[in-house]
Amino acid sequence: MRTWQRLGYKDREKVMDNIASHEDWKSCFCEIAPGLLLFARQWVQSAADAEDVVQEAFVKFWRRNHNIANRALLYAAVRSIALDFIRRDKRRARREASAFAEADPAIEPQFEWEDETQSALAAAVGSLPHDQREVLVLKIWNELTFNEIAGALGISQNTAASRYRYALANLKKSLQPQ
Amino acid sequence: MNDFSELENELRNLRPAQPSPILFDRIEAALAASRAGASPYRQPRKRSGLPYNWFSLGFGLAAAAVLVLFAAISLERRQERREKIAQISPAPETKPVSAPRRDGSRVQGSTFSDRFIPAGATQVVYNTRDEGLQFARGSEQPLRRLRYQTHQTWQWRNPTTGASLRVSYPSEEVVLIPVSGQ
Repeated sequence: MRTWQRLGYKDREKVMDNIASHEDWKSCFCEIAPGLLLFARQWVQSAADAEDVVQEAFVKFWRRNHNIANRALLYAAVRSIALDFIRRDKRRARREASAFAEADPAIEPQFEWEDETQSALAAAVGSLPHDQREVLVLKIWNELTFNEIAGALGISQNTAASRYRYALANLKKSLQPQ
Repeated sequence: MNDFSELENELRNLRPAQPSPILFDRIEAALAASRAGASPYRQPRKRSGLPYNWFSLGFGLAAAAVLVLFAAISLERRQERREKIAQISPAPETKPVSAPRRDGSRVQGSTFSDRFIPAGATQVVYNTRDEGLQFARGSEQPLRRLRYQTHQTWQWRNPTTGASLRVSYPSEEVVLIPVSGQ
Protein backbone atom coordinates (compact mmCIF):
# COMPACT_ATOMS: atom_id res chain seq x y z
CA MET A 1 0.00 0.00 0.00
CA ARG A 2 1.36 3.34 -0.96
CA THR A 3 1.88 6.01 1.58
CA TRP A 4 -0.59 8.66 0.56
CA GLN A 5 -0.33 10.68 3.73
CA ARG A 6 0.76 14.18 3.08
CA LEU A 7 3.02 15.61 5.71
CA GLY A 8 0.83 16.55 8.58
CA TYR A 9 1.87 20.17 8.96
CA LYS A 10 -0.79 22.41 10.27
CA ASP A 11 1.30 25.51 9.97
CA ARG A 12 1.01 26.88 6.44
CA GLU A 13 4.43 28.47 6.51
CA LYS A 14 5.99 25.16 7.40
CA VAL A 15 4.19 23.55 4.52
CA MET A 16 5.47 26.23 2.17
CA ASP A 17 8.98 25.81 3.49
CA ASN A 18 8.65 22.15 2.86
CA ILE A 19 7.55 22.77 -0.68
CA ALA A 20 10.55 24.98 -1.13
CA SER A 21 12.80 22.17 0.03
CA HIS A 22 11.33 19.95 -2.72
CA GLU A 23 10.80 17.08 -0.34
CA ASP A 24 7.07 16.97 0.07
CA TRP A 25 5.44 17.57 -3.28
CA LYS A 26 8.10 15.75 -5.28
CA SER A 27 7.80 12.59 -3.27
CA CYS A 28 4.03 12.65 -3.68
CA PHE A 29 4.13 13.55 -7.33
CA CYS A 30 6.76 10.96 -8.27
CA GLU A 31 4.45 8.24 -7.13
CA ILE A 32 1.30 9.40 -8.80
CA ALA A 33 2.62 11.17 -11.90
CA PRO A 34 2.57 8.23 -14.37
CA GLY A 35 -0.98 7.30 -13.40
CA LEU A 36 -2.12 10.91 -13.50
CA LEU A 37 -0.61 11.39 -16.94
CA LEU A 38 -2.21 8.22 -18.20
CA PHE A 39 -5.55 9.41 -16.84
CA ALA A 40 -5.13 12.78 -18.55
CA ARG A 41 -4.22 11.04 -21.80
CA GLN A 42 -7.74 9.61 -21.93
CA TRP A 43 -8.86 13.06 -23.13
CA VAL A 44 -5.92 14.74 -24.76
CA GLN A 45 -3.97 13.54 -27.76
CA SER A 46 -0.38 14.19 -26.90
CA ALA A 47 1.82 13.55 -23.88
CA ALA A 48 2.73 17.24 -23.81
CA ASP A 49 -0.90 18.25 -23.52
CA ALA A 50 -1.40 15.67 -20.79
CA GLU A 51 1.55 17.13 -18.89
CA ASP A 52 0.02 20.59 -19.19
CA VAL A 53 -3.23 19.30 -17.75
CA VAL A 54 -1.55 17.42 -14.93
CA GLN A 55 0.65 20.36 -14.06
CA GLU A 56 -2.28 22.74 -13.82
CA ALA A 57 -4.33 20.31 -11.77
CA PHE A 58 -1.55 19.35 -9.38
CA VAL A 59 -0.39 22.91 -8.78
CA LYS A 60 -3.96 24.03 -8.13
CA PHE A 61 -4.55 21.07 -5.84
CA TRP A 62 -1.33 21.56 -3.92
CA ARG A 63 -1.63 25.31 -3.61
CA ARG A 64 -5.04 24.97 -2.04
CA ASN A 65 -3.50 22.66 0.50
CA HIS A 66 -5.88 19.79 -0.09
CA ASN A 67 -5.05 16.55 1.56
CA ILE A 68 -3.29 14.28 -0.91
CA ALA A 69 -5.20 11.40 0.62
CA ASN A 70 -8.27 12.87 -1.06
CA ARG A 71 -7.29 11.37 -4.37
CA ALA A 72 -10.78 11.57 -5.85
CA LEU A 73 -10.52 15.35 -5.70
CA LEU A 74 -7.18 15.37 -7.47
CA TYR A 75 -8.40 13.13 -10.28
CA ALA A 76 -11.59 15.11 -10.57
CA ALA A 77 -9.45 18.22 -10.98
CA VAL A 78 -7.43 16.54 -13.74
CA ARG A 79 -10.62 15.50 -15.48
CA SER A 80 -12.16 18.95 -15.22
CA ILE A 81 -9.06 20.70 -16.52
CA ALA A 82 -8.72 18.16 -19.33
CA LEU A 83 -12.30 18.81 -20.40
CA ASP A 84 -11.65 22.55 -20.39
CA PHE A 85 -8.53 21.88 -22.41
CA ILE A 86 -10.55 19.94 -24.97
CA ARG A 87 -12.99 22.83 -25.37
CA ARG A 88 -10.14 25.25 -25.94
CA ASP A 89 -8.34 22.77 -28.14
CA LYS A 90 -11.37 22.24 -30.36
CA ARG A 91 -11.39 25.90 -31.29
CA ARG A 92 -7.67 25.80 -31.91
CA ALA A 93 -7.96 22.59 -33.89
CA ARG A 94 -10.53 24.12 -36.20
CA ARG A 95 -8.14 26.96 -36.93
CA GLU A 96 -5.21 24.67 -37.52
CA ALA A 97 -7.10 21.92 -39.31
CA SER A 98 -6.15 23.11 -42.73
CA ALA A 99 -2.49 23.47 -41.81
CA PHE A 100 -2.20 19.94 -40.52
CA ALA A 101 -4.67 18.25 -42.84
CA GLU A 102 -2.04 16.42 -44.82
CA ALA A 103 0.20 15.47 -41.90
CA ASP A 104 -0.18 12.09 -40.24
CA PRO A 105 -1.14 12.44 -36.62
CA ALA A 106 1.69 11.10 -34.49
CA ILE A 107 0.03 9.00 -31.84
CA GLU A 108 2.30 8.84 -28.84
CA PRO A 109 2.16 5.62 -26.87
CA GLN A 110 0.51 5.72 -23.47
CA PHE A 111 2.43 2.72 -22.21
CA GLU A 112 5.97 1.43 -22.20
CA TRP A 113 5.63 -2.12 -23.43
CA GLU A 114 8.39 -4.69 -23.51
CA ASP A 115 7.05 -7.29 -25.91
CA GLU A 116 4.34 -7.94 -28.46
CA THR A 117 1.96 -9.26 -25.83
CA GLN A 118 2.09 -6.03 -23.90
CA SER A 119 1.81 -4.06 -27.12
CA ALA A 120 -1.38 -5.95 -27.98
CA LEU A 121 -2.68 -5.40 -24.48
CA ALA A 122 -2.00 -1.66 -24.73
CA ALA A 123 -3.77 -1.54 -28.07
CA ALA A 124 -6.73 -3.41 -26.60
CA VAL A 125 -6.94 -0.93 -23.74
CA GLY A 126 -6.86 1.91 -26.24
CA SER A 127 -9.78 0.44 -28.14
CA LEU A 128 -12.05 0.22 -25.10
CA PRO A 129 -15.05 2.54 -24.84
CA HIS A 130 -14.08 5.75 -23.14
CA ASP A 131 -16.21 5.36 -20.03
CA GLN A 132 -14.82 1.87 -19.40
CA ARG A 133 -11.27 2.89 -20.12
CA GLU A 134 -11.21 5.77 -17.66
CA VAL A 135 -12.46 3.50 -14.87
CA LEU A 136 -9.87 0.88 -15.79
CA VAL A 137 -7.09 3.47 -15.78
CA LEU A 138 -8.11 4.75 -12.37
CA LYS A 139 -8.43 1.26 -10.93
CA ILE A 140 -5.36 -0.48 -12.36
CA TRP A 141 -2.74 2.22 -12.74
CA ASN A 142 -3.88 4.67 -10.10
CA GLU A 143 -5.09 2.16 -7.52
CA LEU A 144 -8.22 4.05 -6.65
CA THR A 145 -11.05 2.27 -4.88
CA PHE A 146 -14.45 2.14 -6.54
CA ASN A 147 -15.62 4.68 -4.00
CA GLU A 148 -12.85 7.06 -5.02
CA ILE A 149 -13.47 6.41 -8.71
CA ALA A 150 -17.12 7.22 -8.18
CA GLY A 151 -16.14 10.50 -6.52
CA ALA A 152 -13.68 11.45 -9.23
CA LEU A 153 -16.00 10.72 -12.15
CA GLY A 154 -19.26 11.78 -10.55
CA ILE A 155 -20.89 8.38 -10.93
CA SER A 156 -22.18 5.82 -8.47
CA GLN A 157 -19.95 3.19 -6.99
CA ASN A 158 -21.97 0.42 -8.65
CA THR A 159 -21.62 2.08 -12.04
CA ALA A 160 -17.87 2.34 -11.54
CA ALA A 161 -17.65 -1.34 -10.61
CA SER A 162 -19.78 -2.48 -13.52
CA ARG A 163 -17.82 -0.37 -16.00
CA TYR A 164 -14.66 -1.96 -14.69
CA ARG A 165 -16.05 -5.45 -15.15
CA TYR A 166 -17.22 -4.61 -18.66
CA ALA A 167 -13.77 -3.24 -19.47
CA LEU A 168 -12.07 -6.45 -18.30
CA ALA A 169 -14.56 -8.59 -20.16
CA ASN A 170 -14.06 -6.63 -23.34
CA LEU A 171 -10.31 -6.85 -22.98
CA LYS A 172 -10.41 -10.58 -22.45
CA LYS A 173 -12.63 -10.98 -25.46
CA SER A 174 -10.43 -8.90 -27.70
CA LEU A 175 -7.26 -10.69 -26.59
CA GLN A 176 -8.61 -14.18 -27.20
CA PRO A 177 -7.14 -15.90 -30.27
CA GLN A 178 -9.56 -15.78 -33.17
CA MET B 1 -13.88 -11.23 -10.35
CA ASN B 2 -11.42 -14.11 -10.02
CA ASP B 3 -11.81 -14.79 -13.71
CA PHE B 4 -10.02 -11.58 -14.42
CA SER B 5 -7.19 -11.80 -11.89
CA GLU B 6 -4.68 -12.97 -14.48
CA LEU B 7 -5.70 -10.20 -16.83
CA GLU B 8 -5.47 -7.65 -14.03
CA ASN B 9 -1.93 -8.78 -13.27
CA GLU B 10 -0.99 -8.45 -16.91
CA LEU B 11 -2.43 -4.97 -16.96
CA ARG B 12 -0.50 -3.98 -13.83
CA ASN B 13 2.70 -5.15 -15.48
CA LEU B 14 2.02 -2.72 -18.29
CA ARG B 15 3.77 0.47 -17.23
CA PRO B 16 2.36 3.85 -18.15
CA ALA B 17 4.66 6.28 -19.93
CA GLN B 18 6.82 8.24 -17.55
CA PRO B 19 6.56 12.02 -17.27
CA SER B 20 9.30 14.11 -18.75
CA PRO B 21 11.83 15.57 -16.29
CA ILE B 22 10.78 19.03 -17.46
CA LEU B 23 7.39 18.52 -15.87
CA PHE B 24 8.96 18.50 -12.41
CA ASP B 25 10.79 21.73 -13.16
CA ARG B 26 7.62 23.32 -14.45
CA ILE B 27 5.63 22.36 -11.38
CA GLU B 28 8.42 23.55 -9.14
CA ALA B 29 8.48 26.89 -10.95
CA ALA B 30 4.69 27.21 -10.73
CA LEU B 31 4.69 26.47 -7.01
CA ALA B 32 7.55 28.90 -6.48
CA ALA B 33 5.67 31.55 -8.44
CA SER B 34 2.60 31.05 -6.30
CA ARG B 35 4.77 31.35 -3.23
CA ALA B 36 6.37 34.56 -4.49
CA GLY B 37 3.00 36.23 -4.72
CA ALA B 38 1.74 38.72 -2.19
CA SER B 39 -0.16 36.03 -0.40
CA PRO B 40 1.52 32.67 -0.63
CA TYR B 41 -1.66 30.85 0.17
CA ARG B 42 -5.04 31.92 -0.85
CA GLN B 43 -6.79 32.20 2.41
CA PRO B 44 -10.40 31.13 2.20
CA ARG B 45 -12.67 34.12 2.33
CA LYS B 46 -14.44 34.57 5.57
CA ARG B 47 -18.11 34.25 5.00
CA SER B 48 -19.14 36.38 7.90
CA GLY B 49 -21.56 39.07 6.90
CA LEU B 50 -21.69 40.39 3.40
CA PRO B 51 -18.98 39.52 0.94
CA TYR B 52 -16.58 42.25 -0.11
CA ASN B 53 -18.23 42.80 -3.49
CA TRP B 54 -21.56 43.58 -1.91
CA PHE B 55 -19.97 46.20 0.30
CA SER B 56 -18.32 47.94 -2.63
CA LEU B 57 -21.53 47.75 -4.61
CA GLY B 58 -23.44 49.24 -1.70
CA PHE B 59 -20.96 52.07 -1.29
CA GLY B 60 -21.00 52.75 -4.99
CA LEU B 61 -24.77 52.92 -5.10
CA ALA B 62 -24.89 55.18 -2.04
CA ALA B 63 -22.34 57.54 -3.58
CA ALA B 64 -24.27 57.60 -6.85
CA ALA B 65 -27.51 58.35 -4.98
CA VAL B 66 -25.89 61.25 -3.12
CA LEU B 67 -24.55 62.68 -6.37
CA VAL B 68 -27.91 62.44 -8.06
CA LEU B 69 -29.51 64.14 -5.05
CA PHE B 70 -26.98 66.96 -5.15
CA ALA B 71 -27.45 67.39 -8.88
CA ALA B 72 -31.23 67.44 -8.53
CA ILE B 73 -31.15 70.03 -5.71
CA SER B 74 -28.68 72.16 -7.61
CA LEU B 75 -30.79 72.10 -10.75
CA GLU B 76 -33.94 72.93 -8.83
CA ARG B 77 -32.31 75.90 -7.13
CA ARG B 78 -31.00 77.25 -10.39
CA GLN B 79 -34.42 76.85 -11.93
CA GLU B 80 -36.03 78.77 -9.05
CA ARG B 81 -33.43 81.52 -9.33
CA ARG B 82 -34.09 81.94 -13.02
CA GLU B 83 -37.81 82.12 -12.45
CA LYS B 84 -37.30 84.82 -9.84
CA ILE B 85 -35.05 86.76 -12.14
CA ALA B 86 -37.55 86.43 -14.89
CA GLN B 87 -40.34 87.64 -12.62
CA ILE B 88 -38.55 90.67 -11.17
CA SER B 89 -36.78 91.80 -14.28
CA PRO B 90 -38.68 94.35 -16.34
CA ALA B 91 -40.23 92.85 -19.37
CA PRO B 92 -38.35 93.70 -22.46
CA GLU B 93 -40.02 96.31 -24.48
CA THR B 94 -39.83 96.16 -28.14
CA LYS B 95 -40.07 99.17 -30.21
CA PRO B 96 -41.84 98.64 -33.44
CA VAL B 97 -39.74 99.43 -36.38
CA SER B 98 -41.65 101.58 -38.76
CA ALA B 99 -40.99 101.21 -42.36
CA PRO B 100 -39.56 104.38 -43.90
CA ARG B 101 -41.66 106.04 -46.46
CA ARG B 102 -40.44 107.11 -49.81
CA ASP B 103 -40.38 110.69 -48.71
CA GLY B 104 -38.11 109.84 -45.76
CA SER B 105 -40.70 110.23 -43.03
CA ARG B 106 -41.69 107.31 -40.83
CA VAL B 107 -45.05 105.91 -39.88
CA GLN B 108 -46.07 107.45 -36.62
CA GLY B 109 -46.61 105.41 -33.45
CA SER B 110 -48.14 101.97 -33.48
CA THR B 111 -51.46 101.46 -31.82
CA PHE B 112 -50.50 97.90 -30.80
CA SER B 113 -49.32 97.16 -27.32
CA ASP B 114 -45.67 96.33 -27.67
CA ARG B 115 -45.02 94.75 -24.29
CA PHE B 116 -43.62 91.23 -24.22
CA ILE B 117 -43.82 89.34 -20.98
CA PRO B 118 -41.85 86.21 -20.02
CA ALA B 119 -43.91 83.16 -20.86
CA GLY B 120 -41.61 80.34 -19.93
CA ALA B 121 -38.13 79.02 -19.53
CA THR B 122 -36.99 75.47 -19.90
CA GLN B 123 -33.69 73.85 -19.32
CA VAL B 124 -33.11 70.32 -20.57
CA VAL B 125 -30.06 68.56 -19.19
CA TYR B 126 -29.04 66.07 -21.80
CA ASN B 127 -25.66 65.11 -20.47
CA THR B 128 -24.02 65.04 -17.05
CA ARG B 129 -20.40 64.17 -16.63
CA ASP B 130 -18.58 63.55 -13.40
CA GLU B 131 -15.07 64.94 -13.86
CA GLY B 132 -13.81 63.64 -10.55
CA LEU B 133 -12.49 65.25 -7.43
CA GLN B 134 -10.31 68.34 -7.35
CA PHE B 135 -8.90 70.67 -4.77
CA ALA B 136 -9.57 74.36 -5.06
CA ARG B 137 -6.78 76.76 -4.21
CA GLY B 138 -6.42 77.27 -0.51
CA SER B 139 -9.05 74.67 0.28
CA GLU B 140 -8.35 71.33 1.84
CA GLN B 141 -11.80 70.05 1.16
CA PRO B 142 -12.13 68.20 -2.11
CA LEU B 143 -14.70 69.31 -4.59
CA ARG B 144 -16.51 67.13 -7.04
CA ARG B 145 -16.60 68.67 -10.48
CA LEU B 146 -19.78 68.00 -12.45
CA ARG B 147 -20.30 69.23 -15.98
CA TYR B 148 -23.86 69.64 -17.24
CA GLN B 149 -24.65 70.09 -20.89
CA THR B 150 -28.05 71.65 -21.26
CA HIS B 151 -30.32 73.20 -23.79
CA GLN B 152 -32.10 76.32 -22.56
CA THR B 153 -35.16 77.91 -24.06
CA TRP B 154 -36.60 81.28 -23.07
CA GLN B 155 -39.96 82.44 -24.26
CA TRP B 156 -41.77 85.79 -24.21
CA ARG B 157 -45.28 86.49 -25.31
CA ASN B 158 -47.20 89.56 -26.20
CA PRO B 159 -50.62 89.09 -24.61
CA THR B 160 -52.21 91.69 -26.79
CA THR B 161 -51.11 90.48 -30.15
CA GLY B 162 -50.37 86.88 -29.27
CA ALA B 163 -46.94 87.21 -30.78
CA SER B 164 -44.26 85.16 -29.13
CA LEU B 165 -40.53 85.29 -29.04
CA ARG B 166 -38.44 82.25 -28.35
CA VAL B 167 -34.69 81.99 -27.85
CA SER B 168 -32.96 78.63 -27.60
CA TYR B 169 -29.33 77.98 -27.11
CA PRO B 170 -27.07 75.21 -25.81
CA SER B 171 -25.19 75.81 -22.64
CA GLU B 172 -22.64 74.11 -20.50
CA GLU B 173 -22.26 74.48 -16.78
CA VAL B 174 -19.62 73.28 -14.37
CA VAL B 175 -20.72 72.75 -10.79
CA LEU B 176 -18.35 72.17 -7.89
CA ILE B 177 -19.88 70.24 -5.03
CA PRO B 178 -18.01 70.03 -1.72
CA VAL B 179 -17.36 66.48 -0.64
CA SER B 180 -17.25 65.77 3.04
CA GLY B 181 -14.53 63.40 4.09
CA GLN B 182 -16.47 62.00 7.04
